[in-house]
Amino acid sequence: MENGLQGPAAAVPDFAALLKRQGLYPLAVAHSSPAGGAGLPVETQATTILAFKFAGGVLMAGDRRATAGNTVVYDRADKVLEIDRHSLMAIAGVPATAWEMARVLEHSFQFYRRSQLQEMSLDGKVRALSKLLRDNFGFVRQGVGIVVPIFATYDSASQIARLYFYDAMGAQFEAADYAVSGSGSPAVRSILYYENTWGKKPLREISREEAVVLALRALDTAAETDTATGGVDRRGRVYPVVKIVSGEGIATLSEEDLANTFKTEVK
Amino acid sequence: MTEEPYRWVEAISNRREYIEHQLAGGSPIVGLTYGDGVLFLTLSRERQKIFEIYDRIAMGAIGHPGDIERLRMAAIEVASTEGFTRSTQDVSLRRLATFSLSPALKAAFEQIYGPPYLARMLFAELGREGEGNLFTRIDYDGTMHTSGGPHLRTFEDYGVLAGTSAQAAAMEKYLAGVKGTEMSLEEAIRTALEAWTVGHLSREEGASPTAEEVAAAKKEQLAGAVMEAAVLERSARQAATYRTLRQDEIEKALG
Repeated sequence: MENGLQGPAAAVPDFAALLKRQGLYPLAVAHSSPAGGAGLPVETQATTILAFKFAGGVLMAGDRRATAGNTVVYDRADKVLEIDRHSLMAIAGVPATAWEMARVLEHSFQFYRRSQLQEMSLDGKVRALSKLLRDNFGFVRQGVGIVVPIFATYDSASQIARLYFYDAMGAQFEAADYAVSGSGSPAVRSILYYENTWGKKPLREISREEAVVLALRALDTAAETDTATGGVDRRGRVYPVVKIVSGEGIATLSEEDLANTFKTEVK
Repeated sequence: MTEEPYRWVEAISNRREYIEHQLAGGSPIVGLTYGDGVLFLTLSRERQKIFEIYDRIAMGAIGHPGDIERLRMAAIEVASTEGFTRSTQDVSLRRLATFSLSPALKAAFEQIYGPPYLARMLFAELGREGEGNLFTRIDYDGTMHTSGGPHLRTFEDYGVLAGTSAQAAAMEKYLAGVKGTEMSLEEAIRTALEAWTVGHLSREEGASPTAEEVAAAKKEQLAGAVMEAAVLERSARQAATYRTLRQDEIEKALG
């Protein structure tokens, strides 16, 4: 209660700023890291996440494996996270930082809507993630907290779903057709490039069913050679997470749908 | 001179009189339980009076816009910080009201060299699975009135906010027998509008408007003001349950 009730409301209604003021901000800002960290080996982002535009919006998918070095720590990790009614973030990198980042982002959007009585603009949301990444650069330089996410959100002004990818320093890039991240991403990038350029149809024109099949096949390909990418465990009923952003909001594919598609189209 | 106890009591009393006078003109706000959650309803002429605070908490307020704004921001900051550092399940209206808002309001009210908050608020919290909804009214001096909760009191299905205590009493009397959980949203909108009109007509102590007076006043007020209504919905797909009602939903209910 030390804030709002004593002086006028903060001029900049920013949730990250509120957390910083209260000493609760979970990310390590760059200047707090020891100098001379440059040149440290950057940890690989052991995972595969992908997103592409198709006829019904943006599809975003990720495998379920979480690793620490050679060890598989967890095989049910959820790397495709819902940030608000129309936004998805897929995470590659250090889970502790990535999930915390997703939580800050989710609360930031809600805090903005509640305090300002309007939705944050699309550019504002895209920038918010960029700022979090830049604030996290202290961890990145220390070699412990790198995150390289993909972000998809529905633009109600132009009525299309948009897709963005980032680097570890927070530079944002809008993807024309697809975006990938993680250690298994080179294989997936090649597949998406090939399909988009020489496939039967460009990615933008494929149907929802075709998009799901493509995503599952691409993740399966990545898991074939990348040990840090989890394949499908049919006995354990562990399938990749597949979500779709469109004007209607976010749709999550059910385990049953994925199991059926897998049986008929992938293996 | 306020070192003398009598002077202090007098100053507080003057301050109370001044604030009550300022608040007296405020348009009433009705909070009402219905089948799928909580409805907030008021008629307003210029500015928004019903707000989202957190996933399951909403607020309506009358008073000075600057003060309402500061209290609203404070409530959002407290709830958001708690929801972020612990979990959204840990945010509760009871704690927000008793530990944060009420002491701060009391302190501002009694420190007679500083400005008091010129505001009166009604909060509602959508109960979790199997629990009733909670309504809490918090006044400019930090006093609270809740619709139930501790001491095994059964929850009342409503909460009201008005410029004068006579108005609030009249609205509570009107809503006393209401079985909120059995109402559809349309029925709840109609009932809340009736209660609002009863409050609007009961500015004088003891006045009890007749059904004809209510009907006439309702028509007159609807012509000149905009109805503002929002809900906290149990059936919401996402964690945030607050939603402003669209004009066509309100019109459908009023027929």
